[in-house]
Amino acid sequence: MEKTRIHKDIIIIGAGMAGLTAALYAGRMNMDVLVLENGIIGGQIANATGIENYPGFAKVSGKDLIETLQQQAESFGAEVDEFDVIQKVSLQSTPKIVETDEHIYEADVIIIASGMNRRKLPLPEEGRYAGKGVHYCELCDGHMYQDKIIAVMGGGNAAVDAANFLSKYAKKIYLIHRSEIRADEVSWQRLQDNPKAEIFLQTEVKRLQGESRLESIEVQDKGTGENRQLQVDGIFVNIGVVPNTELFQDELSLTASGRIAAGEDCRTAIPGVFAAGDVREKEIRQLTTAAADGTTAALLAEKYIVKLKEGN
Amino acid sequence: MVKVYSINNCPWCDKVKKYLKSKHVEFEEHNIEENDADRDACYALTGDLVVPITTANDKDYVLSFDKAKLDALLGL
Repeated sequence: MEKTRIHKDIIIIGAGMAGLTAALYAGRMNMDVLVLENGIIGGQIANATGIENYPGFAKVSGKDLIETLQQQAESFGAEVDEFDVIQKVSLQSTPKIVETDEHIYEADVIIIASGMNRRKLPLPEEGRYAGKGVHYCELCDGHMYQDKIIAVMGGGNAAVDAANFLSKYAKKIYLIHRSEIRADEVSWQRLQDNPKAEIFLQTEVKRLQGESRLESIEVQDKGTGENRQLQVDGIFVNIGVVPNTELFQDELSLTASGRIAAGEDCRTAIPGVFAAGDVREKEIRQLTTAAADGTTAALLAEKYIVKLKEGN
Repeated sequence: MVKVYSINNCPWCDKVKKYLKSKHVEFEEHNIEENDADRDACYALTGDLVVPITTANDKDYVLSFDKAKLDALLGL
């Protein structure tokens, strides 16, 4: 079946905080805007159980925050499609092209807000235990470990918050991290005060073991070199993220970390292509900075389109 | 009848349900956190408790959200 061609003023790739904020602003400027999302609406924060550092909210779940933002954007005319999967993009052409399973979209501007995915556990046996003891989504899979022993790998906010959340199911929680804790003080103190938690810093996970599913892990103290076995039923991996830039790597220059090179104005090297949120190379990556990027990208996108239509 | 095994607060479960609704597929939701019989049935079907699980015949199933596999399973 031939795909239908549809023109949009702005196509936003990614429906996380940056993408939906851009959609909200673009919608309010009467732009014809489409948001495409191949994964989960909300991206990484869809899994956040309690956000306590977003201004104006004492505590809010990622789901509630993002659902409200999506409704806000849609109320101003933005369209969000989370089922039509992007196949390829052409950023250099005029108009720019986004080909999905069902359509060929043409757009004056593309805002890339594709965010990041969790880094996989870099052990050869990871695939054997994926879903059978190795997990990447606390909200989805934590329920499987009622009164069991869980290990959480990682030392950032996501890992520490995951350990705090999973302790409601588990009878014991290990937090294992290869270096120092980078989580904020409030979350970190909460975990240290948790009677179910045992914390191993400067410790590497070396091996996963078990017959049909994970039964134990081997960890190594980096200081002493000592190895020990920990009986665990599941391990939740929070060891960082990788930018979602595969679709764009042929046309845009990526930084050493795999992110898109763009300044605070979110402009990339290609006119009419903006990068917003965690996928953009920058020092601070927070929900608030993602919202700021979405705002900047949408406002400058509108200016770009006005000039384009004036023939400048 | 199509069945979706799910839990509360599960983004991928929500995505599967939204997709089925968008395709006008009628389905029953079986919450394995709230119902032990559903939990047992999910385990019997898949040998695990990973969700979401979608099945149309209590034999073949799709794990998580995979549009191509869901379309094939449900004849969409």
